[in-house]
Amino acid sequence: MAFNYDKYLRLEKMPTLWCWGCGDGVILKAFIRAIDKMGISQDDVCVVSGIGCSGRFSSYVDFNTVHTTHGRTTAYATGIKLMNPDKLVVCVAGDGDALAIGGNHTIHACRRNIDMTMIVINNFIYGLTNSQTSPTTPKGMWTVSQKAGNIDPTFDTCDLAIASGASFVARESMLDPKKLEKVMIKAMEHRGFSMMEVLSNCHINLGRKNKMVSAMENLEWIDNITVAKKKYDAMTPEEQLNLLPTGILKQDTEADEYCDMYAEIQKVHQGQRGKITQDDFEKKI
Amino acid sequence: MGTFETQNPGNQPVWVNTNNCKACDICVSVCPAGVLGMKYESTSTLGAMISIDHPESCIGCNECELTCPDFAIYVADKKEFKEAGYSFAKLTDDAKKRQEAIIANGYMSLDQEGVK
Repeated sequence: MAFNYDKYLRLEKMPTLWCWGCGDGVILKAFIRAIDKMGISQDDVCVVSGIGCSGRFSSYVDFNTVHTTHGRTTAYATGIKLMNPDKLVVCVAGDGDALAIGGNHTIHACRRNIDMTMIVINNFIYGLTNSQTSPTTPKGMWTVSQKAGNIDPTFDTCDLAIASGASFVARESMLDPKKLEKVMIKAMEHRGFSMMEVLSNCHINLGRKNKMVSAMENLEWIDNITVAKKKYDAMTPEEQLNLLPTGILKQDTEADEYCDMYAEIQKVHQGQRGKITQDDFEKKI
Repeated sequence: MGTFETQNPGNQPVWVNTNNCKACDICVSVCPAGVLGMKYESTSTLGAMISIDHPESCIGCNECELTCPDFAIYVADKKEFKEAGYSFAKLTDDAKKRQEAIIANGYMSLDQEGVK
């Protein structure tokens, strides 16, 4: 018997509404296998998703789920996590959801280093609304909103998360589901904010207009622009141009976690301890 | 509502739930041993459907199951398959050549002609 996903799926919603060959399905499967391997009860997991193709993620999985407003996944998830510090909270957002309309929420969740996992499914385009330029669309690609070629510089999700203060940052592509599953487990087990960027394909709305007609051609392109972190570090800056490193890019287990700090605030109000002062922190600024 | 067929239908190394398959070609392209191929199917959305042409060559690497986005293809569990008295094949040069030919044929089975 092969691995049975039925336990974790809402079967009445199947089959998925995603296009043929969409990477979201592979990521969904890897996520379910990761949860199964960690042995967490379904009642102890909360999946929060926003708007976009990735927003359907929360409809398909049979955990506690919230389908929230556009870009506000981390805002909702912060509230959920603060009230339920012992539960596993996972945000799933697309590149437009997390970096464009929700960019503000994303950087501040990273800054607080609150214990949740954010999976950003980066398909380099606004897929659901038919190919408008997203913050990660490569320069020079055809989009509906920039028909003469995209001139906007691109965001690097992982660099943004590292600079904002997330304590676990990783990038994987959907080409290697086994590795994706392993890194997902590490991200969810990490205490602190885990940013996980997963590169995915959208051959329907990105590929068809950019000489990548089939799912495989789009995946080959992703394969060509990604390189393992070890190899990437050994490269010269000229070789690194136009390449994205994959793997765990940052892992800091020492950083202060927000739920712990919040528990101290609760103690202050319950009269169990004095007010918090600067001496309570090692890193103040 | 989609149906799932995680139970092995009679000691097969690899089996497909055609209700879920959307014919995206990904499983055909990741197979190292030329087991899979697409066949023309007029009732399918994309005009093609997955078919298992050479189950005897399956090496049980699980790649097709892992990369299928739609819960459509399943590979037998190695231990259970062995206990039932069957074993997966070893990767042969013939199988590798067949896989190359299938990719050159636009992911279609070798008895199907042209690109869809």
